[in-house]
This record gives sequence, structure tokens and C-alpha cells, in this order.
Amino acid sequence: MRLADARALLPDLVTEAGEPQADLRLVEAIAGWCDRYTPWVAIDPMGGALADDIEQTCSTGGFGGDAGLLLDVTGCTHLFGDGESGERALLADLVTRLARRDLTCRAAMADTAGAAWALARFAERQADLFCPARGQRDALASLPVEGLRLEAPILETFLKLGLRRIGDLYPMPRAPLVRRFGEQPVRRIDQALGRLDEPIEPRRLPPAFRTRLAFAEPIGRAEDIAAATSRLLAALCRQLEQAGVGARLLEIALYRVDGSVDRTSIGTSRPNRDNPKLMKLFEEKLGELDPGFGVELMILAAPEVEAWSGTQDALPDQDSPTVAAGADGTLDLADRLVLRLGAENVVRLLSRDSHLPERVQVVTAIASTPATAGAWRRIASLKGARPTRLLQRPEPVEVTAFVPDDPPSVFRWRRHAHRIVRADGPERIADEWWRPRPDGSRPPAGTLPPVRDYYRVEDDDGGRFWLFRDGPYQLAANGLPTARWFLHGFCA
Amino acid sequence: MPVISPSAFAPPVSGAANDRVAPVPASLREKVRRLERSNSVRRSGRAASVPLGISAIDALLPEGGLLTGALHEIEAGPAPSGRVSPHDGPVLGFAGHLLGRLGPGTILWCRRPTGTFDAVPYAPALSSWFDPARLLMVTARRDEDLFWAMEEGLRCPGISAVVGETRAADPTAGRRLSLAAEKNGVPALLLRAQPAPPQSVCTTRWRITSAPSCSTPGLRDVGALRWRLELRRNRFGTPSADETPSWLLEWNDETHCLAVVPQTLHGSPGAHFEERLVG
Repeated sequence: MRLADARALLPDLVTEAGEPQADLRLVEAIAGWCDRYTPWVAIDPMGGALADDIEQTCSTGGFGGDAGLLLDVTGCTHLFGDGESGERALLADLVTRLARRDLTCRAAMADTAGAAWALARFAERQADLFCPARGQRDALASLPVEGLRLEAPILETFLKLGLRRIGDLYPMPRAPLVRRFGEQPVRRIDQALGRLDEPIEPRRLPPAFRTRLAFAEPIGRAEDIAAATSRLLAALCRQLEQAGVGARLLEIALYRVDGSVDRTSIGTSRPNRDNPKLMKLFEEKLGELDPGFGVELMILAAPEVEAWSGTQDALPDQDSPTVAAGADGTLDLADRLVLRLGAENVVRLLSRDSHLPERVQVVTAIASTPATAGAWRRIASLKGARPTRLLQRPEPVEVTAFVPDDPPSVFRWRRHAHRIVRADGPERIADEWWRPRPDGSRPPAGTLPPVRDYYRVEDDDGGRFWLFRDGPYQLAANGLPTARWFLHGFCA
Repeated sequence: MPVISPSAFAPPVSGAANDRVAPVPASLREKVRRLERSNSVRRSGRAASVPLGISAIDALLPEGGLLTGALHEIEAGPAPSGRVSPHDGPVLGFAGHLLGRLGPGTILWCRRPTGTFDAVPYAPALSSWFDPARLLMVTARRDEDLFWAMEEGLRCPGISAVVGETRAADPTAGRRLSLAAEKNGVPALLLRAQPAPPQSVCTTRWRITSAPSCSTPGLRDVGALRWRLELRRNRFGTPSADETPSWLLEWNDETHCLAVVPQTLHGSPGAHFEERLVG
């Protein structure tokens, strides 16, 4: 129905603009809250408010805006009671807790995601919402075919043919059904009845290693949170040790009494399960966490783990006695620095085979690179002619030279004139023609690559600079030289 | 944790004047400091000092070299003509020489970028003094972060030296760095592109300026690197005859050693030749 039609029928209709983004945020918050029941929570891709195509949503359910969550509670229900009573208790708990926050929801439980989806939307009686084990065939039989999550054209044809209930499809021969409607209806029926597996992609991949701590009374003091973290960490480190792995990423989540969740995480540069060291890293971050009105549940998880490399490192190489991968606490130091300053600010310098001065030195994050001693040895032949500081971007300078091809006699940089007394050069460095340009194009064939002529100069004060001219000396049509001069570095 | 009396951070007093006023406490204090220092150094298992390799300078320094568990400052001095030095390339060179003489281990290099005109330390040049693979480069946006990172580095057993590049002269931070360096026996170097207000806690303060090099006679090429080095503060060291001892040093790239240029060679024939050639 169009809005204009609706207004004609009901003149005092209140309308609000839809806010899909806000809806999505709310659904994500609820999904985060649902982590309390199971780590395996997915936002239903068929949920109304989240589907890209609003038309399609309206035709499938007729309930515009019905967002859904899928929870795989396998192995989680025993916390609420044994067998079926535990499952029923979990469902009731979920509904009442959400109702307490003014969220109306219909929750159904079944053996398959498809059956639960259909029941939650189309079950007529409250008692039908819980489908006992292996009872989905009977439970679905009386539901409308909309409950099968079919595409709109298929659904329309089914309704035209008078196939209104899911049960009407049970006796249909499969082969003609597939030939007439494609494989979707058959696949959906199989999925709903549990004959075909339907994987649920969780919103956050449940970590293999996690520990939780629930509190009888909500806690809020920073000391209590630190103490709880330390207990969780001790338990998690035992888990990691038993599995023979170390954590690369740890995440702590605080479930607050108002239903919101606050998370923070720490990363390490190598697999780690050293309780005191990890606790030290957490101490930096715990201050950022906001307990709000109180925390009722804390979960510590290790989403990223790697095989434990062991405490024993390889024997130091004769040539590179300095590299004993982190045994000396350097990597732990790097972890602390990264945590406070950011990964892009704690780096190592690697060498690259290149002639261009600005490409020789590569900055890489500490975590991704082992230190390789001696990597710079090949570059060492150039050291004398290289500056100790390199300008990030060369600065243009004004230059006076007696003879065009000579090193300059005076250069002006930042409004100071430097009279050049001594000069070394030129050292011609050509562009790397075999490498694509930054924009992806390649230099046209047959043209000379751009060159730079580098000079090491010394002014009358003894200051040493590294200058270059960005090309050979040539006169343009207007009589001015085409090449310009730049300052690229400061020598020792 | 060594106990430091507040007066230990007092500005340097010339030895003679100090002796006249209160001879016993001063010498006693010095003795206590030496004992504490040697104790902390022994615990860290490192050498107490690293000789610079220049006998004239090492003779003035305590323990015959640069103390490892101490804070040292290296600043770029004004050019001989009196102008502000345009860059601090020689500071990096001298720091590189000192770092190269220290033992193996990671070097933590903390710096604050100076915006668009930022000139980063360039590893190919530094590789003439030490292996740049040993460097752990840290960039800090604020001075507090920089000093914090330096202090963390000094406490780490795998770090052989900590270098900080900043313009800030925070006396409290300097004192903390000095204490951390002393406790762990790791040297801390503060590099200054411009002369900064002196930190009274630093053990040595060097001022370095690039000096005109000596060309090959008849040519105008840039010769071996030459620096004018001044030792402007020398705590625990032997007092020198001059107020601020100064040397003209030359770095030999082939033999990898820094040596004092003999005084007689200052006005070398080469220099005269150049004067004529250029002037």
C-alpha cells in the first residue's frame, strides 16, 4: 500500500521516516546481548528491516521491518535445565528479558533454523512456538508457504496454484517441482525439515578459547574488574596451555546490567600465554572500559591463536647474534608500545633492492617482520655518499650555477643562501622503468626514464647537504632550464 | 632503587669552588654515587662504560668512556659563522658512532615527527655505524608519550640503548630517564636539533657542528666527514684544562674510526689552495 492511499483511508495517520541504520544498530546491540546465551549468534539475512530490497521483504513476510536473529543454542541449554525443560526455560528467559526492555519479540525453537524461522513468524498459537525434537514436519505442515523463505515470484505462483500450506508441498513429487520452480523450494523444505544442512554464519566467529565469569551482584569498581580479569586470564592461559597454543589477540567483554556490552582487545606480536605479561597489557586498556551501572558478566576470549612456538628459541646464528626473537623482552616491549601508540608508530626499518633513495628504506610493522640482521649489509657500500636524514618529500631550492652542468655555486633553501665550497657528483639515479608508476600505468616504450643527478655539497659553514636536479640540463622553448633543483637530505 | 639526594641534581659546580665551601659532603656524595652506580651496573651485567675510541676524549670521561647507565645529550651547535645550524645531520652521525660502539641488542629510537618538513633518520647512512635492523623506531605524537616510551625501553632487558629526538626539555622527565638509565645500566641519548635549555641531570652533554672537510688537493670534492665536538658537561669526569674542551674530529669511512685531526693540519695547504680557488 502506498502512503498516499493509507493517508486517504486514515487521515490522521502518524508517519515517521525509516531509519535503517539505527534499526541495524539496535539489532546488532541485541545480537551482542544474545551472546549471553550462545556465542553462535547470527543476524538473520532474511530479516525484514535488513533486507536490501524492501519490496521483496514485504512480499515474503508481509511484516515490513521484522528483523530476526538466529541463535544456535546447541549445547547451551543445559545451563537452564535438563533436556527439553532447559530449552523451554532458555526460550522463556530470552522473551521475558527482552520484554523487560520494552522489546516485543516472538522467539521459536526448533531443530532447524528454517523451522524456527517459520514458527517465529507464522505460528498461530503460543504453544506452537516450541517445536519438540524431530517434530518440525508436523509443526510446519499447517503454516503458510511464506514460511519457507522463497523468492517472491515462486511464492506468487504457489498461491495461484492453491498451494497455501507448507503441508501441501509434502506430497508433491520432487522432480517436477524442481523442473518447474528451480531447486529453491525443495532446498528450503529440506533445510526446514533437517534433511539438508543449513550453516548459520555467526555475527562474530565464536572463539575457540573463552572463559566467562558471572557475578551474583553487579560489579563496578575498577579494582574488581581488574581482579576478575586476572582470574579469567589465569583460566584462559590454562586452556591455551592445554591446547598448546598462544594467543595473538585477546578480547574482553563486559556485559552491563542495562543490556549493553563494552569490549576491548589487546594484540600481541607473537603467540603469548604468559599470564603476568598479558595482564600488564590489559592494565593499560582496562581504564578505557566503562562499567556503566554495573557489570553482571565478563567474558574473556582469544579470537586469534597461533601454535605456541615454545620458550626455547633457535640457536643464535653466528652472523646475527642480536636476533633471538623476543627472548630478551623486546617483543613484549613492542607490544606495550603498540598498545599505547598504535601499530603504525612502532616499526622496523627494512631494506629493499632499489636505486631510488626513498624506496630503499621500508617501514614495516613490528609484528609482521622478524628482525633480519645483515639485511643492510649490501646497502653499506653506499653509506658514505648517503645523508643521515632524508626529507620525506624533497624541497625545491633555488640554485645559481656558473656552468649549466656544474654543481651549483649557491643554493637558497628556506630563505637562507648557502655558498657551496665543495661538491661531489653527479651521481645519476634513473627511475625504475620496470616498475609500474603509482597510477598503474607504464612509461611508454622508447622514452628515456626520468633521471635525477645527485650532488653531495658542502657550504662555507661546513654543512653538508644532498641535492639533486630532476633531469639533465636542457633549455625549454621559453629559454628557461627545464630541470629543477631539490634538497633531499642532510649529510652528517 | 638508589636513593638520590635532591642536591644531586643541582647544576654543575666547578670542583674547586665546591671543595672550598663544603669539602667533605661533596666528596662523600660523589663516593656514594660511584658506589651506587657500580652496583647498578654490576647488576645489569654490562660494561660500566664504552670508550669512544678517541684517547684524548676518553681520558676526560669517567671510567674511561661513555657511562652506560646514564643520560647523555647531543645537540647541534650553531655554525662557525654564527648562524643557526641548518640541520642536525652530524648529531645523528655522532650518535650513530656511539651506538655502534655499544654492545649488540635492539636500539629503541623514539622521535616526534615535525610535520610536513619531517626528515627521517636514513638507514643506509646509519649502516656505516651499526646495523639498522637493530632499530626499533617509535613515533610519538606527544612528548609525554615519547618520554614514556623511552622509559619503558630503558626498563627492557633486551634494549641496548634508547635514543630520543625531541625539542622538549622537561626536567622531571629528564630526571626519570636518568634514574631509569642508571638503574638498568642502559644508556639514554637525547638528540637535539637545536640547543635546548640544559638538563642538569644528564651525565654528559655534547655539542656537535659540522666542520669544513678537507678536499683532495686540486679538487673541490667533499672530503672525509669532519665535526667540531664540544664537551659542554662532564659529570663524574676529570676536569679539563679548558672550560669546554673541544676537538676537531674526522670520520674515516675505510677504517671505521673517529680520530682527532692534529692541530697542525688545520691550516693545511689544501685549505689554502681552496681559498685561492674559490675566493
